[in-house]
Amino acid sequence: MARILVVDDESSIRLLYTEELTDDGHVVTAVATATEAVDKLREADFDLVLLDIKLKNESGLDLLQTIVKERHDIPVILSTAFSFYKDDFSAWLADGYVVKSSNLQELKDEIERVLAKKKRP
Amino acid sequence: MDQISADECVSLGEGEEELLSSRKRRVIEKCLDCPRFARDLQTLRGSDNPLAGILPFLMAELADQKAQLQFMGGFLDAKIREIAFLHELSVELQTSLNLDEVLSVAMTAITAGKGFGMNRAFLLMTDKERQYLRGYLGVGPLNAEEAWHIWEEVGQSNLSLKEMAKHFKTSKLSSEKVKFHDILEKLTVPLKLQDHIFNRSLRERRPILVENAFSNPDVDRSVAETLGVDSFLIMPLISGNRRIGLIIADNCITHRPITTQDMQSMETFAFPVSFALVRASLYERLQEELQKVTEANLKLKEQQETIVRMEKMALVGRITSSIAHSIRNPLMIIGGFTRSLLKDVPENDPKRPSLESIVATAKQLENVLDEVLSYSDSLYPARDMWDVNQLVAATCGELQEQLEKRGVTCTMNLAPGLPPVYVDYRQVSYCLRGVITTVADRLADNGELIIATSRDDASVALRVLDPTTSLTREEREALTTPFSATQELGIGLTMPLCKTILERASIPFDINSPPEGGTTYTLNLPITKEEEIHGQDSRS
Repeated sequence: MARILVVDDESSIRLLYTEELTDDGHVVTAVATATEAVDKLREADFDLVLLDIKLKNESGLDLLQTIVKERHDIPVILSTAFSFYKDDFSAWLADGYVVKSSNLQELKDEIERVLAKKKRP
Repeated sequence: MDQISADECVSLGEGEEELLSSRKRRVIEKCLDCPRFARDLQTLRGSDNPLAGILPFLMAELADQKAQLQFMGGFLDAKIREIAFLHELSVELQTSLNLDEVLSVAMTAITAGKGFGMNRAFLLMTDKERQYLRGYLGVGPLNAEEAWHIWEEVGQSNLSLKEMAKHFKTSKLSSEKVKFHDILEKLTVPLKLQDHIFNRSLRERRPILVENAFSNPDVDRSVAETLGVDSFLIMPLISGNRRIGLIIADNCITHRPITTQDMQSMETFAFPVSFALVRASLYERLQEELQKVTEANLKLKEQQETIVRMEKMALVGRITSSIAHSIRNPLMIIGGFTRSLLKDVPENDPKRPSLESIVATAKQLENVLDEVLSYSDSLYPARDMWDVNQLVAATCGELQEQLEKRGVTCTMNLAPGLPPVYVDYRQVSYCLRGVITTVADRLADNGELIIATSRDDASVALRVLDPTTSLTREEREALTTPFSATQELGIGLTMPLCKTILERASIPFDINSPPEGGTTYTLNLPITKEEEIHGQDSRS
């Protein structure tokens, strides 16, 4: 079981992630904006952040930098509709990268991989 | 008498009628040689006339004046011929913009009998770095035998200066350079040797007639030995403040003395030659610069076209990305929630097939979206040198799972030691993926496709072989035609896109079905960067 913060401006995707990840036994908190995400990170502890790159009027990559600066102990997985962000240096700060798909298995596998890596000393 | 009739003077012949009305000319030109006039004078001398004693003095003076007049007439004729020659020479020099042509005219004029009639001439020119006065061209015979042969040939041909110069340029210019190569090398002197007689002539801007060269303290003995003559003329070629070079002329065969008159005539000739050489040289440089400007202009035009094309591509890319983002999220939501619902729907529930259909269709649309985005990425070619075998292995690795699901095996025959190919990795990888999936779709379960690489002449051939399917010409054409009726959703654009991408990258792509069966898809990947230029051209 892990505490996961989902950051995505699309409410249906937040709902989908929350349902699917909760079914898998995780505790999910979902927010729509970078400001909300920063607030949540200051309020509570999380084991992982699942972050959309293109937020409404905000950049997920900027939020990624903030998280790395303030909470570098929390791994971040980028979830996006664009595959080309993989080549963006800013995206390399993330621990994982997943292209959005209706089949969430790849995302779930990536979450397991990153969490397992975090647990290792 | 001022006017006489023809029968009054026996010395006058046909064509001399003018003298009938000119007493002065008649007396000077005819009377002095006339026996009747001599007899009359003899009679007068024997008379008691007091002026009879001075007649012999007057006659002697008159004879002197006549001789001088004849000499001056001859001199004038020579000068007229010289002016006519210089005029012809000047016209030839003024109308020529080609350096070799100017040199041919100048050197022919110096050595031709109807020109300055020197036996031999050498041209030395200052180099571009203004460090040396270098031997550039020699004209004339090497020995007496060759001299007589040349002069006999010239005497028979009766060519004009222009014709002789043209003949020299086309048939002798190169060979004369070779013939006198050693002498020209030895005549080369550094410009910094101020005391050398060549440099002195240039510095003082005046011709020097060298005599007794072997014992002349002003002349480097090596120069005399190289030329092998005791007397030669040095003529500087100067235009404005520019020291172009100099001409050395001698009479090595006839040993005719070089006169001050020869030197003055050559000096008159040196100025237009210098001017023509400068002009031809400038014209040559102008042509070179013009060529550079033309090439730069062409390059600029190509770059402009590339920028315009890239802007169009960037626009296409932005639109595609925007659409992709807008579509991917709803697809994910539809497919994702349906999958969630399916988890709680029993296997025998009548709603299950409908939900599964939604999942499958959403997935299919996501695949189309991936394809469009891959194509969008390929619009930004970034070529580099790549190992084609690694590219093949990586692409096949990505497709391994997909091929296994379809029961297709992939055999790789990759040639070792291939040179790197100069391609856009993503483009070629996309096209190879497209070809493999197209072939895999046609293969039945347990089918096999073969991927091979090999070295061709100027490229590396990448072949995908379908050993079982033979395609007719129409089928092969339909395969690379967009929206062909035979294609299904999701793969209908793959091969046409591959073909377009490869065409834009100037990578030859061939689909061949030999009579013995099977179909081979061949990509010829360039191994040099030169291909890039052609690629850009083909896109413009």
